[in-house]
Amino acid sequence: MIDDERFRAGEYSRKMRTALREWERWSVEWPQLADKIERSRTSWLLPHLSDSVAATFSLPALPPAFSVAATDGSQIFPDRHDISSCYLINIGYVLLHYGLNERPLLNSRPKLFYKADDLYSNWGGRKVVASRETVAHKRTVLEFTELSDLALAAAAEGFDPMAAADGTLILWNLEGKPQNVRSAVLTTVLDSWERLRSKRIPLAGYISQPGSQELINAFRVGLCPLDAADCRRCPWQQSASEIPCQPVEGLHDVALARQFLRVGERTSIFGSSSKILGEYGDHRIHFFYLNVGKEVARVEVPHWVARDNQLLNTVHSVFCDQAQKGDGYPVALAEAHEQAVVRGRDREMFYASLRQHLITHDVGVKVSNKALRKRVARV
Amino acid sequence: MIKARRETIKPESLRPLDRFKAASASSGIPVVSRHGELGEVIESSTIGLVAEARSLHGAPPFGSFVTVASEYNVFGIVAGATTRSTEPNRRPVAFGKTEEELRLEQPQIFELLRTEFEVLLVGYLVDGDPVHFLPPQPARIHSFVFRCDDQIVRDFTSTDDYLRCILAAGHFPADQLIPAAMRTAYRCHGSSTSYLVRAGKELARLLRDDYDRLGAILRRVGGEPC
Repeated sequence: MIDDERFRAGEYSRKMRTALREWERWSVEWPQLADKIERSRTSWLLPHLSDSVAATFSLPALPPAFSVAATDGSQIFPDRHDISSCYLINIGYVLLHYGLNERPLLNSRPKLFYKADDLYSNWGGRKVVASRETVAHKRTVLEFTELSDLALAAAAEGFDPMAAADGTLILWNLEGKPQNVRSAVLTTVLDSWERLRSKRIPLAGYISQPGSQELINAFRVGLCPLDAADCRRCPWQQSASEIPCQPVEGLHDVALARQFLRVGERTSIFGSSSKILGEYGDHRIHFFYLNVGKEVARVEVPHWVARDNQLLNTVHSVFCDQAQKGDGYPVALAEAHEQAVVRGRDREMFYASLRQHLITHDVGVKVSNKALRKRVARV
Repeated sequence: MIKARRETIKPESLRPLDRFKAASASSGIPVVSRHGELGEVIESSTIGLVAEARSLHGAPPFGSFVTVASEYNVFGIVAGATTRSTEPNRRPVAFGKTEEELRLEQPQIFELLRTEFEVLLVGYLVDGDPVHFLPPQPARIHSFVFRCDDQIVRDFTSTDDYLRCILAAGHFPADQLIPAAMRTAYRCHGSSTSYLVRAGKELARLLRDDYDRLGAILRRVGGEPC
């Protein structure tokens, strides 16, 4: 085991040295790499380059007065073994004001879904009962629409908000889902982003400890001896020797970014090539890496934020400041999570209260034999 | 006597952010208007209650007299206050900053703190007249706690029965609470020496077997004015 660990550490160092060499190599010749990427066909995600891979941007000044809006969701999934197949989504809201001496807003709003329209949905022409997956889609929609509504309401009251989302803005888990499901989620979410765009309110997603490898993948394309990489016709795939792109394979972008970003600095903007973004229109997602001090995070923004320097600088400075105030993680996102979270005990109380309510109103309650057996375990 | 007035916020008066604020402030749901209450009852028994202060650090002074607008308008003395996190699993941590700096940089933490105060019940009011017995029923949860005006305090402390109540209350710091309450009553009696002499005599009678304790309490009565 010790030998394995040593081997892995040695291999990691070798890969990192190669990655840094490639990073330096493409720092100037990046347009050639960008061109090769656009012509390549790989089985892994590649970034669209519009600037040097080595460019770094120092921390811009914070706006003198600003607000951060954030939402997060949590749920009680439908449980066919319990008394009802209803489900609950709790959305936590946070609006923090800085430099304004205004009271912050911290609240959560649970929503119970129990009507036929809530419990059944159209899944590519099939009527399906609410599942973890359909609830997760509904939660995603609510998180984004409520975030937009909160930020817009803040702007309507004269604040200057930024809309901060917890996690990615790329809804890649919609890939492969029926067209009507994808469309229902994306139309609603993108409409809410459009409303933010119309008021020029920056929207950004913050991903802590990201496992993305797009930048490293760009270097893999750079290492490929072919004029344009094509993994399906890779001549080295069947040979015993090492594949030319392998020397950097497996590294994460943040491991590399940590080597060259100083605290507060961000990388240049990269375009994501996730398949689902083909349906995003003007809201297609770009990302950058940001050294917030305790870690390098990935920040995602829609196209209209990426090309607006002022909005981009706000996202850059505010997320850095938020992470520092939150001891490594943006305080607004952490508080939105705290507001939203539904813990195991809350779930038990929810079902106990629901049971009581149904009994009070003479509605029969029944749990499955399986659930009953779990509650009363016999020796 | 003191009654909380209920009114309905009209939807048209809502501001854009109101939808995201506390549930009672949205969609015209009835809300309790504020009538200068100091707090709201969150724990209640026949002998005492705990109230959440309306504002952070907004507990009424230790030893002051309060009443609760409830089924019985109970009457009591503020016997302690605590400020803590609203979340049982989140403890405040030291930031090394002044409160002013924290309000600018970490505004959320002040929303996550609550001040609560304890009230020792010493009687109740019937049509504004004091009754020196414990109330037949405890104050209701969520009823409002109000500061007593000087006249009510004067009426209530026209006899000194409340001193015995304090001495008999086990878990409150009686030796601190008695002088604090006596100083409040003294002020409400227009700093009348005759009130002090009378209350002092009653205390001497109650503590006739413990001269040292009596002396310590009386010295505190003569301490800092309230």
